[in-house]
Amino acid sequence: MLTLSLALALAAAPHDTARAPAPGQEGPAITVHRQQAMPVVALRLSILADDPPGYSGAGHLFQHLLQRLLQDQAARVGGHVSLLRGSDAIVYQVVGPASELDYLAGILRSALRVPAPQGPELPAALSTLAEERNAERESAPQYVRAALRARLFPAEIPAAGTADAAARLATAPLDRLWSGIYRPERVQIVAVGDVQIEAVRRAFRALPGAAAADAPEALPDTVPALEADTPQATRGWIGSAWAASEAEPAAVSVTARLLRSSLRRRMTRSQVEVEHWWTHQGQALALVVATPDSLVPAARRTVEGALGTLATSVTDAGVRDAAASVRRDMLFYARAPDRMAELLGEFADRDTGPDAAQRYFAALEAVTAADVRGVLDRLRVGEPAKVYVPPQRLPTQRRR
Amino acid sequence: MSPRTFPVALAAALLLASTAARAAAQDRVYVRPEAGTPVVAVQVLVSVGPVDEPAEQAGISYLAARAVVEPTRATLDSLGAHLDVDQQRDAIAFTLTAAPDAWAAASQALLVALFRDPVDSAATVRQRTALVRELRAREASPADALDRERAKAVYGTDHPWARPPVGTSATVGRVRVAQVDAFLRRNFTPERSVVAVVGPVDEGEALDVLRPHMPEGELVVDSVPEAAPAAEPVSADYNSITTWVSATWRFGADSDVESLRMLSRLALDRVSFGPSRRSVYNSRAEVVQYAGGGELRLTVVVPPREARQWAERLREAVGGYANEGLSPTLFAERLRRYRGLRLLELDLPEARAGAMARAALLGDRGATLADFTRLSPERLQAAAMSLHAPVIVFLGPEANEGA
Repeated sequence: MLTLSLALALAAAPHDTARAPAPGQEGPAITVHRQQAMPVVALRLSILADDPPGYSGAGHLFQHLLQRLLQDQAARVGGHVSLLRGSDAIVYQVVGPASELDYLAGILRSALRVPAPQGPELPAALSTLAEERNAERESAPQYVRAALRARLFPAEIPAAGTADAAARLATAPLDRLWSGIYRPERVQIVAVGDVQIEAVRRAFRALPGAAAADAPEALPDTVPALEADTPQATRGWIGSAWAASEAEPAAVSVTARLLRSSLRRRMTRSQVEVEHWWTHQGQALALVVATPDSLVPAARRTVEGALGTLATSVTDAGVRDAAASVRRDMLFYARAPDRMAELLGEFADRDTGPDAAQRYFAALEAVTAADVRGVLDRLRVGEPAKVYVPPQRLPTQRRR
Repeated sequence: MSPRTFPVALAAALLLASTAARAAAQDRVYVRPEAGTPVVAVQVLVSVGPVDEPAEQAGISYLAARAVVEPTRATLDSLGAHLDVDQQRDAIAFTLTAAPDAWAAASQALLVALFRDPVDSAATVRQRTALVRELRAREASPADALDRERAKAVYGTDHPWARPPVGTSATVGRVRVAQVDAFLRRNFTPERSVVAVVGPVDEGEALDVLRPHMPEGELVVDSVPEAAPAAEPVSADYNSITTWVSATWRFGADSDVESLRMLSRLALDRVSFGPSRRSVYNSRAEVVQYAGGGELRLTVVVPPREARQWAERLREAVGGYANEGLSPTLFAERLRRYRGLRLLELDLPEARAGAMARAALLGDRGATLADFTRLSPERLQAAAMSLHAPVIVFLGPEANEGA
């Protein structure tokens, strides 16, 4: 029953999904997932680009400069805009009535031009970037993840850039920065909702050409050192992450789910998160634990031996349950068109081919206990990245 | 028809057709098959609320609802299903969202818990403790205080709906397990419930799953006593640096609710923060439907010295549309925005299940989700004209200053 129902749910997805001809033909790569439940469409435009060397944060800066304008435009049709600078792409997404497809597409197309900031707009956007940079160091959960990412993927610079780069962005010509980021062939479109692929293709046929200006001179980007800025925390925060780039993604996801369930059962007084990170830089399995001061030594031992302990307890039934759990979470997350566009777009941005999301979804069901053991064996060979934030201790006060 | 309005009408017609064609296969079970939706959303709406509660046990409905589903949470978690319980003024909504392979088992677990399982004493005590803690925190919030004051002003202090639908920390804390058990047996019955199902299921499959728990028959609902709204503005002191000003227009069962929804959005635009309204800290508009009618509410948070002035502006924000209709061009522009906002309110399957269940409870067997085709400048003006004087409530310091 479980298998049949899931298969039916899956069967609908590839049938409703269409992808435009490969890049190189007219217009960008387009993926359309038809959902006729409501006359709504979510459009996701991503520019697959890193920031120009030495100007990290440039892509996200452009997003902040355009944000207000795009939101105002979408509001005219009751729509909503969201902007995201991910590891793989600069993403603009809009959701609104399907009957407004051309208008909504026009909003996204308008994000493919060099913005012309007026008055305080540029300083305000740079200030927002600075706040986002600082946020990574302010609280333990963000800090642990940022520090783990920096060690596993040293080439990946935070979306908000660096302080050095921000100083250059303040004076760099925007058209040259944009020239270093944008090419029409780097654009991908995902549409989810009550629309046809032909209509979406027409709506995005004429993208702006590449900027005429030269890209800025390449300068070195220095990945910020996080060690000096350890945040204060009331609990001990333990982070461990293992590179898993060569592993089958679906098996890594199931392994992460099994590890989470196993650790949550064993560490009932701690907060346990196990995440599967997957970008074009590679894959990793990350473990973040927050635990009371008195339990830190035991928690560190548990984390150290987590992969080995799990390897001895993997069963076929456990793997099936974990895979079903990941699949159900995916379906639940993607239950609105904008969420589905986000999910499909993330797969498309990793350049893993057409129908990548559907293939991953199907692959989850095929994961076996042997696959999970294989992932665990592979992870245990490598040395994990480790981060620790100690719990804050108040200084002992002398009583009078 | 202008080029702009044609696709509007087409989209609306599609929405209506896809909804109405599939609804009402059974008296109290409504199914909306949606092939492309990745999950199934189920809402069970049980018409139980303050009208059924003794005043000294205010909140027993919500406590009973939480207590009766608590033992099923582990089962639902194992199925990856999500359950929310929401106490409304005239009903309790149990909203379940699950993957297509799990919705049937999850729905059956929920319905068995609601209509067959006895109350679990330990679960009831746990939920009572948790609810009292939550209510204590809520009672300190100005939004919650405004809700309480507004309900008393709109319905009259002796009306059951004047009481908070979830009770108070004092009343809930006094409810005994035996009282919850008796309340459940008396009130949580299939005859007082409607079920709406939205998602990749067909009607026959859904009925096969639900029929054993939902025997056919007419819906049983309580009659609601007549309201006695306050004739004059009501002021309630509250220790804050801002004053909340609320205007509530009651409307009847035969009102044009879609026009009233659009009217509330347009009125909100006239009182929200902007270059000429810099003193508005927050604003909100909502239309809620109950058995026998509903309310259009408009609320702003402003400096205390401006409170009286803003009460008048709230009246004008709605009344202005009664006095003068919008030109067709302006109406088309406003409708374009409203349509998008309304569609996005319904873009989650659980929101659509909720809208369908509510419509079913109110006797709308067509279960229309949103009806844009009937909106027009004339209907908008008529809807504004149908409203009588609002009930005004001030909450905050110096609410009486500036009168």
